[in-house]
Amino acid sequence: MGAPGRAEAAYSACRVIESRPVGAYRLVSFIAREMAAGARPGQFLMVRRSGPALDPLLPRPMSIHDVESDLVKVLIDPVGKGTLNLAAAGVGDQFNVLGPLGNGFNLEGDGPALLAGGGIGAAPLAYLARQLMDRGREVTCLLGFRSRAQAIAAELFRGVDVHVSTEDGSVGRQGLVSELLSGCIAGLGPGARQAELFACGPDAMLRAVSATALECGVRSQVSVDTHMACGVGACQGCVVETVQGYRRACSEGPVFAAADLKW
Amino acid sequence: MVEVLKTALGPLGLGHPVINASGTFDLLEADEVLRADLMAEFPFAAYVPKTVTMEPRAGNDPPRLFETAAGLLNSIGLANRGIEAFIDEDLPRLAALPVPLIASIAGERTDDYGRCALLLDECDRVDAVELNISCPNVELGGMALGCDPYKTRQATEYARESTSRFLIVKLTPNVTDITSLARAAVEGGADCISVINTVHGMALDPLRLKPALGHVTGGLSGPAIKPVALRAIYMISREVDVPVIGMGGATTAQDVLEFLAAGASVVAIGTASFRDPLLAARLAGELRVLMEQRGFGSVRELIGHAHKE
Ligand SMILES: Cc1cc2nc3c(=O)[nH]c(=O)nc-3n(C[C@H](O)[C@H](O)[C@H](O)COP(=O)(O)O)c2cc1C
Ligand code: FES
Repeated sequence: MGAPGRAEAAYSACRVIESRPVGAYRLVSFIAREMAAGARPGQFLMVRRSGPALDPLLPRPMSIHDVESDLVKVLIDPVGKGTLNLAAAGVGDQFNVLGPLGNGFNLEGDGPALLAGGGIGAAPLAYLARQLMDRGREVTCLLGFRSRAQAIAAELFRGVDVHVSTEDGSVGRQGLVSELLSGCIAGLGPGARQAELFACGPDAMLRAVSATALECGVRSQVSVDTHMACGVGACQGCVVETVQGYRRACSEGPVFAAADLKW
Repeated sequence: MVEVLKTALGPLGLGHPVINASGTFDLLEADEVLRADLMAEFPFAAYVPKTVTMEPRAGNDPPRLFETAAGLLNSIGLANRGIEAFIDEDLPRLAALPVPLIASIAGERTDDYGRCALLLDECDRVDAVELNISCPNVELGGMALGCDPYKTRQATEYARESTSRFLIVKLTPNVTDITSLARAAVEGGADCISVINTVHGMALDPLRLKPALGHVTGGLSGPAIKPVALRAIYMISREVDVPVIGMGGATTAQDVLEFLAAGASVVAIGTASFRDPLLAARLAGELRVLMEQRGFGSVRELIGHAHKE
């Protein structure tokens, strides 16, 4: 996968300068110059609201959604107490941020790039799409959401060739993102063998898209989402099972070759 | 470090009384990721690496972490690369560390503690040895062993026969009478008691209503367990004549102050480092301010203050 972590992560207090709803999600931007400068697509941050409150106790891992000069943006799906707490942050509030962390996606190939996001798994794909396009790669982005409220996040992918599916058919094609992917790979014809899939989302979605890709001879890199405590490889809490045994999602991932994962 | 904070743990001189808890801070990993030069500016007064065992251990099935109210449940299961890798690969990289190193070991049987301690006795870098007889996440040894005063004493005796290093025994709070275990360890030759390891607990996934951890049950740490830790420190320091390392939920300088007053000679920080990786670097300074405010001129004066008439 990407270049190994090279003593680059910083820990600092970062001021929130924008916080707005994007359908069911919330887009929060904060000033983090050092992190913005070093961040690679697929890396993440450990983020916590500054202050002495003991609940939520720990920071939450957040994918880097996008980077713009000295701003870092995260996209939050407020599903648990930690993410709700972060999503409630307003302009002027402060986050304690550790990062950038993890390996990130490997951008080295040159074939067509198929990006697949499931729900909030769309978050890291915006920055990834831009960086791949900057490298001259042909990018197609497939985003699957539950319903319209989530699918609004597709508007964050301006300038990218985006195809949306929703489970209820309220936006785009009705069905799952793996079905979008089959169609897309078929459309590539013989070029599919040079293609590469980059995916992020829930495990079931990752399994489905990487299986679809495998059937068509397309390699996959997937970014997994696990509970974390330290974020730096110290606690062994975030492991996923791979063909080489347990591997830490924070320091040896979160991006793994789909072929290496045991699921 | 400032004079008022200087202290000692047996033969180990410490710049201040705050160290890390095993399994919650990995200097070698953190140094690879963080921009800060942790080796040169190590924030703790001593370094306790993660517990190692004779054989490598893969650890428990994930998920291994779940956050609870002001607490963290974990079921890591002593995942480690084994004592050989620790001695051959990790210790040489820690040669330049400017603080004492306390190696933590665990075993499935009481004599494993002797075997591990013997191997470490050869290592100059190791200043003290901590016997983790209290991990709640391993079925065979750890927990059961640390719940039984006879086995606690026996494991300590095996280690004592194998090493002349300062010997610490780390106890579990998941017992009826923790002081009887502290006594058993001291009778077996322990130079120091450390308390507490995590508190047995469990959580359900809020949506599925099934166990949140792959291992079903786990160990609770963090602010939620501070009163449990404080009691253990208080009871044990009153009961035995060896120093106590206090841990369990300490998150602020006030917590450190209270653990010392309850009878701890040194305080270890675990889960709180996940919350704030730079906490340790601030705690000592904040502790000094609190000591000044309360009129304590030295750590020695503060230790056990709660016991005094
Ligand atoms: C993720 C995690 C891993 C731990 N691993 C170990 C270990 O390997 N050996 C050990 O003696 N204690 C281990 N502990 C227990 C801690 O050292 C400490 O005793 C406990 O967490 C209470 O302190 P705290 O509330 O400050 O975290 C671990 C705790 C956590 C949260
Ligand atoms: S979160 Fe601690 S090792 Fe990954």
